[in-house]
Formats: sequence, C-alpha cells, structure tokens
Amino acid sequence: MKLKGVQQTNWIGVGIFVLIVLIFPFVVTQSFLLNHATFTGIYVIVSLGLGLLMGYAGQISLGQAAFYGVGAYATAIMTTTYGLSPWIGLIFSIAIAALLAYIMGYTMARLSGYYLAMATLAFGIIVHSVLVEWRSVTLGASGFYGIPSINIFGYTITQGIPYYYFVWAFAIIGIIICLNIVHSRVGRALRSIHDSEIASSAMGVETGKYKTQIFVLSAIFAGVAGWLFAHMSYSISPSSFTLDASIIFLAMVVLGGSSSVWGAVLGTVLITMIQVTVHTLGEQFTFITSEFEHVVYGLILVLVIIFMPRGLFPTISSWLNNKMSQRSSETQEKKAS
Amino acid sequence: MLEVKNVTKTFGGVVANKDVSFSFEEGQIVGLIGPNGAGKSTMFNMISAIFPPSEGEIIFRKQRIDKMPTNAMAPLGISRTFQNLQVFKNMTVVENVMVGRHIRTKTGTLRAALKLPGTKKEEVSAYDKAMEYIQFVGLQDLYDHLAGNLALGKLRLLELARALATEPKLLLLDEIAAGLNHKETKEMSNLIEKIRNNGTTVFVVEHDMDLVMSICDKIIVLDQGEKIAEGTPREIQSNQRVITAYLGAEVEKNAQ
Ligand SMILES: Nc1ncnc2c1ncn2[C@@H]1O[C@H](COP(=O)(O)OP(=O)(O)OP(=O)(O)O)[C@@H](O)[C@H]1O
Ligand SMILES: [Mg+2]
Repeated sequence: MKLKGVQQTNWIGVGIFVLIVLIFPFVVTQSFLLNHATFTGIYVIVSLGLGLLMGYAGQISLGQAAFYGVGAYATAIMTTTYGLSPWIGLIFSIAIAALLAYIMGYTMARLSGYYLAMATLAFGIIVHSVLVEWRSVTLGASGFYGIPSINIFGYTITQGIPYYYFVWAFAIIGIIICLNIVHSRVGRALRSIHDSEIASSAMGVETGKYKTQIFVLSAIFAGVAGWLFAHMSYSISPSSFTLDASIIFLAMVVLGGSSSVWGAVLGTVLITMIQVTVHTLGEQFTFITSEFEHVVYGLILVLVIIFMPRGLFPTISSWLNNKMSQRSSETQEKKAS
Repeated sequence: MLEVKNVTKTFGGVVANKDVSFSFEEGQIVGLIGPNGAGKSTMFNMISAIFPPSEGEIIFRKQRIDKMPTNAMAPLGISRTFQNLQVFKNMTVVENVMVGRHIRTKTGTLRAALKLPGTKKEEVSAYDKAMEYIQFVGLQDLYDHLAGNLALGKLRLLELARALATEPKLLLLDEIAAGLNHKETKEMSNLIEKIRNNGTTVFVVEHDMDLVMSICDKIIVLDQGEKIAEGTPREIQSNQRVITAYLGAEVEKNAQ
C-alpha cells in the first residue's frame, strides 16, 4: 500500500538490482572480474551496516574491519580448529561480533559525538594486535589456513559462480533488511534524532537504545561478511583487517552517501572498480603502486566531502528528481498554454 | 496535576529560576508569563525533563519527574513544542507527526528488519492517526511537503500536531504564537481552547497579552527567575508587582 508523503521502499528498484546481480556472471565471464564482484558483495554487506550507523544513527566507526576480522576468525577457528560446521561458525561470527559491539555500545549509549569513533579506532587496533600476537589460537601474522568450504543441502559452494551467487544472496538480504529498517518506525526515529535530538527525545524516542542497536547491527553485518570472506578464501591473515581496511569501508560509505541504503552499495561498487583499475594499470605501469591507491581514496574523500557532502547517490537522485519535476511542470505548462 | 516545589536552576553564575513553587489542576489553560529572560523556557525545559533542576522537586500526577530522562516524559503524558522550532526538517509533515506516534506504536528494530506480520498494519494506522492530527491543526494541504520548506506559521502548527500525536495529558506550548500574524494568532488561540475542551491540560508561555488574558484560566508570572504573582487574568492585570515588572522591562528597552 502506498502511504503518500512517507519514505517507502521502491521494490521495482530492488527488483532491477536483483536482475543485474543475476545477469552479471553471464555478461562478464573473466574469472578475475567475477572474483572481484564476489568481494564487492562481501564489502557491500559491511558498508551497508556502516552506512546505517553513519547516516541514520549519526555515529562513525573507524573499526569496522575489526568486526569483519572477528567474524572471519571466529568461524575459521570453530570450523578448522574445532571441526564444526561452517553454519555453526556463522552463529559464532554473528554472536561474537554482536557481543563486542553491544559491550562497546552499551557503555557509550549516553555519550555522543566522537566517542564511538575513538573507541572503535582503539578497538580496531586491539583486534589487529590480538590476531597477530595470539599465535596459539590465530596462528599469528602468517595467517590461518585450511578453512573448509560451505555446504548447503549436500552441495559444496565452490569459488566462482556458486560463491558469487551465495555472497550476493546475503548482500541482497542485507539490502532488504536495511531498507525495511530505514522505512519503518525505527528508521523514522533515527532520522528524527539526526534533525533534532531534543525534539526526538521529547517525543519519547529512546535515542541511546536505537544508536546501540544500529551499532550492534552494523557489527553483525560485518561479522557475516567476515564469515563469507573466510570460507571463500581457504586462508586468512590479519593483514585483511587493518585500519586501512576500516578507512576503505568508510570511503565507500562517504562516496556513495550514507543517508541512503543504496549509497553504500554504489560507493562500494565504485571503490572496488577503482581498485581493479589501479591494479590492472599497476601491472602495466610500475609507478602505480598500492600506495597510489591510497592517494586516490584520500583524494576521493576530500573531493566528495567538499563538493558532495551528502555523497553521490543522494546528490544524483535529487538531481534526477528535480529534472523530472521540471519536465512534468513544463509539459503541464504546455498543456495549459 | 503538576506541582513545582522550590525549584531553582542556575547556569554557571546565572540564576534562571529561583525558588519557584506553583501547582495547578487538570482541565485548564495555564499561562506562564514574564519579561524576556525571566526564566520561562528554563522552567518548561525542567518540566519536560530536558535538564534537571539544580534544586527542588517537580511532581506530575503524584510522580517525581525531575530526575527522569527526557524520553520518559511523553509516555507519562507530557508533550511540548519549542520556542526555537525543533521540527525534523528533512522529513515530511506527515513523517514528523508520525514520530509523535512513536510511543503509541511498538515495532522494534528486529520486527522492522524482518517486516514481521503486523508491522504494515501498525504503519498504516500510525499514518492514519497522524493525518487526523494534521487535519486538526489544518495542515492537510501540506501533509507530504518537506518540513524544511514550510513557513513559520505552518511550522508552529506542525509542532503542535506532532506534540498532540503523543496524546498528552499535559501540553507545554513555548511561545507558540511568536511570529504569527493577527489571523494566525486568533486561529491558534481557538485551537488551544479546543485542545483544552478535549481534555488536555495546556500550559502556555506567551508574550501576546491579549491571547494570554483571553484564553487562560490561571496565570503565573515570573520576573528575573522569581515568581512574583499567580492568579486569574483579572487579578494579574491589576497586580502592582506585575505592572512594575513589565514597566521596568519597557523602560529598560527604551533606554537601550
Ligand atoms: N542553557 C543555558 N545556558 C546558560 N544560560 C541559560 C541557558 N538557558 C537559559 N539561560 C539563561 O537563563 C535566563 C532565563 O532564560 P529563559 O530562556 O528561561 O528565559 P525566557 O523567560 O524564556 O525568555 P524569553 O521570553 O526571551 O524566551 C537567561 O538569562 C538566559 O540567558
Ligand atoms: Mg523563552
């Protein structure tokens, strides 16, 4: 049912997106591109959660890669060291990431501003050190290997097209969950906090509670992404879960725009495309190194913050809306004259 | 219904309220007046638990509320509007009022995320209810407009609709007529009387003396943080301390 004047999910848009995801492997057949597309799906899951946290709860996390890492290592240890099923591993990936976020979020529910940013920054550094130093459990800097593949109904999800669809199924569920939240009583409450926290709490909105919940949700998303990453890769190492990675997730959200769920998706796709391009160019030109990549991200962040503070997606969609309403009013004028 | 007992509020060195006490019963329109800086908004902020008093107690329907968090007030039945307009600018009119329905609905993050059965129904009923309040204040033609694009008079009505949507027992209106033209002020005072007649107690801070004197059942006067008078409009109009306080403020203004 259409409730006019209320932000609601555009299910046609979701349908088109699902179609693009389904068709992609038939159009793009190079396996390295499919591999990147699979990674994009994993990163989309992380940035969806981070986008909700930034755009709706108004908080910044500088340690999202740590939750991603916790999710990856939790399942790696459970399935490899203890021989459990990856599906049990998923429960651990989610539970541990959620618990850590809850503890952090709970102690910070009453604080605001940059406390969460600072706390997550510290958390990210601690998690990375633990992964490197706790050798008896994590096998240290050299990494953890021998992670089993995921089975579903007796069918092993191998790398390539099966894993691509598997990852994107999760990503699309993630998108739908975010759209559902954003376009609900909770989403409205969160948006209202953004505009006026005082009025929001005077209307009875429990601002601290919702901020904590969204933070926990963002950690769960990152945990699930970590789980997908671990079982795709056979081996994982702490180098995937550094501050750098957290900053890249941040860049994805800022570029795409955090005030819209689709912004996180768009930002992730664009940043991955830049990564792929830089890598490909790097193979031909020796002066293009991975350092170069970071310069590009830095530049993008600066440009976006200066010229499009709301990010690409909201800017483009409001521009399109304006165009359309202009056109419709022009045609109306023509009819009238 | 409301009892303010020996309330003092200081901001650093500034004493905004000094040992103020008053109380009133249900079913009235009560006015809180006083010259600029008298401490009226400060008093409202304490009654709506935006911040606690430095000293004293505030009791609402036999419950002490002065140490409670802000978000506990709406469920108890206290709602308010803001002198310095606190609308949700990036939301539409109907979305703003739906936030007023927040405490009357219960879909949580998990239920919303999974769109469990019942969430849609609740959403529709919140929408319909919000539209009723929009109709009540007369904003029905603007319901799908972005609040940030509304004119001042409409914003005041929007704040009123949003506050009413919580179904308060006590409604605090902080200078709801400020900046309104003559016609809008008249309509606002009709609305306030209608709200009282529907059973909601209304507590108003207002500078427009015609409005205050014509609709209030009882008036409390503050001056420089202290209560200087309390009574019916007729009593207040002839109170010597009130006249001096207002004249003093006038004289100061002219001297500037
Ligand atoms: N948050 C605050 N921090 C510091 N001082 C404050 C604060 N709020 C109010 N004051 C001071 O307390 C005094 C009373 O202010 P208040 O806003 O309550 O007055 P008011 O009666 O509402 O005035 P007006 O009619 O202009 O709205 C003023 O001197 C003001 O500067
Ligand atoms: Mg005031």
